[in-house]
Amino acid sequence: MEKKVAIAGFRIAAAPDLETTRERLVFDLSKGLLDDLGITRDAVDNFVFCSNDFMDGRTISHVFIGPAAGGYMKDQTKVEMDGLNAMIYASMGIISGQYDVTMVVALSLTGSQASPYLYTDYSLDPTYDRQLKLLNELSAAALEARSYLTAGGYPEELLDVVAAQDLKNAAANPGQARRIDGVSRERIKGSPYYYEPLRELHCYPPTDGGCAMLLVSEKKAKELTDKPVWLLGMGRSTDIYYLGDRDLSTSLSAAQAAERAYAMAGIKDPASELDLAEIMSLFAHQEPLLAEAMGLLEKGKAAAAYEAGDTAVEGRMPINPSGGPLGAHPICATGLIRAAEAARQLRGEAGENQVKKAGVALAHGQDGVCAQQSAVVILGT
Amino acid sequence: MEEIKDTFLHPVVPLDFQNNYRVGAYLQRYLDGFKEKKILGAKCSQCGRVVVPPRKYCGACNLVMEEFTELPQEGTLENFTVGHVNLEKGQWKRADAPYVIGMVRLDGAANAMLARLNVSPADARAGMKVKAVWKDQVEGEHADLDCFEPA
Repeated sequence: MEKKVAIAGFRIAAAPDLETTRERLVFDLSKGLLDDLGITRDAVDNFVFCSNDFMDGRTISHVFIGPAAGGYMKDQTKVEMDGLNAMIYASMGIISGQYDVTMVVALSLTGSQASPYLYTDYSLDPTYDRQLKLLNELSAAALEARSYLTAGGYPEELLDVVAAQDLKNAAANPGQARRIDGVSRERIKGSPYYYEPLRELHCYPPTDGGCAMLLVSEKKAKELTDKPVWLLGMGRSTDIYYLGDRDLSTSLSAAQAAERAYAMAGIKDPASELDLAEIMSLFAHQEPLLAEAMGLLEKGKAAAAYEAGDTAVEGRMPINPSGGPLGAHPICATGLIRAAEAARQLRGEAGENQVKKAGVALAHGQDGVCAQQSAVVILGT
Repeated sequence: MEEIKDTFLHPVVPLDFQNNYRVGAYLQRYLDGFKEKKILGAKCSQCGRVVVPPRKYCGACNLVMEEFTELPQEGTLENFTVGHVNLEKGQWKRADAPYVIGMVRLDGAANAMLARLNVSPADARAGMKVKAVWKDQVEGEHADLDCFEPA
C-alpha cells in the first residue's frame, strides 16, 4: 500500500469516572485535537463516530454527538462497537479520494454511567445463551483463558506475569484509567477470582473514555504535521458466534486479520519486522493468546518470552507498552486507542514507556465474545 | 465558569421494554425432543458435521442442514471454569459457593455445549467423561436438561 492515509493527531481520555457527559467528552476531545493542529472544523470534511446505542441508552446516539464534534452539516456516519473498525472505515473514504480530512471519534461511559458487562449479555443469542444464563463476558473469557493455558502447557501464573507487565506500563502512562503504583505479581495473585483462572486484576477495569483521531490524505499530512504516522496495512476477520464451535485456545479472527494486514503492508516476518504491538487484550490471557495468533510470539513459548522480558518496553517485541486495556477499556474506543498509542510510540512521544526503535507498529482491535471479530492495522513512520 | 455539581437523571422513557423472539423450527425441534429426554443435533450433508443444538445453516459450507440426528447423552468435559461470582443485570455479586460450568462435547458432536456441571470444583477435570442429567418433570424447555455429572 502506498502512503495514502496518515494519522495527523489524536487525543485520548480515560478514567474510572470522567464526571462528564457524552457530548462534553466528544467536544473536549475533538476541539482539543483541532486546537492541537491549529485548524478549525472547516478543515474537516468527514466525521466517523463509534459508539453503541445500547450503552448510550438512546437509539442513533451519534445524532447528539455530531454537532459536539464540529460535524454540523458535514458527512457523518457511525460504526458500531470497536473503534479500530471505525478507523479502517474512515481510511477507506480517504483512499477512495472522496475526502482529505476525516475526524474519527469513539467513546463510551462504561465506568460511571452504564455497566460494561450488560452490553455483552444483550449481544448473546436470545433464544439459547440468554435462556441458559451461563454465558457472560467474564465466564466466556475464563473458558478461553483455561483453554489457552491448557493448550500451551502454561501455568496459571502466566496471567499474573502478563498483568504485572501491563499494569506497570499503565502506571507510567498518564492516559490510563487504572494506575497502580508498584503493582506486584503477588498483589495480582491476591486479587479475588471472578471465574477461574481470571482474577480481578487480570480483567479490564470499567472505564469512561474516548479517543479522537484525525486521519488525512498525503497532501494534507504535509500541511498539518511534521510527524505523520502512515497507515501501511489493514485487515479484518469475523469468526462464528458460537463458542462451542471455536478453538478457544487461539484466535482465528486475529490470525486472519493480521495475515491480511501483513500482506497489504508487505510484512513477511512480523516478529522481526514489527517494533511493537498494541493489542486489545481485555483479559490478561488474551495478550499472549492474540500475540501468538498474530505471529508476534512463538506458539507455546509465550511464558518464556514474558519471563525473559522480550515483551517489555525495552524488550525484543514490546507488547502493549501503553499498558493496554488492563489500564483502560472505554468500550468502542479501546481499539482506536491502541492505534493512537502505537502512533504515540512512532512519534517518539511515549515518555517513560518509549520503545527505543519504533518504526513499524501493529494495532489490534476486537469485538464480540472472545474476540469473535478482529481488526488489525499496521502503522509506520 | 463557576464549578457546578452534576446530578444523574433517569430517562423518562424506561428501557424495560420486552423483545419477543421467535424460536425457529430448528431450536423448537430441539426443545420438543427434551419432552422425551432426547438431545437432537443437525447434520451437514456436505461436511458431515453434527452441531448441537441444531441450527439451520452450516456456517462453513453455507448450506441448509436438513438432517436431524439424535445424539448420545454422554460426552467429554473439554474445558471448564469455576465461577466465584454471578452476573445479574450487568453487576457481579459473589456466589454463595463456587460452582462449575464447562464445555461438554457430546460423543459424535462437532461442537461443544456450555453446561452446568454437578461436580465439586476440586473434582472437575478437563477430559472427564460426563452424562446428561434431566429434571424429573420435563416440559420442553431449556431448563429440562439440568446439568451434566461424571459418567
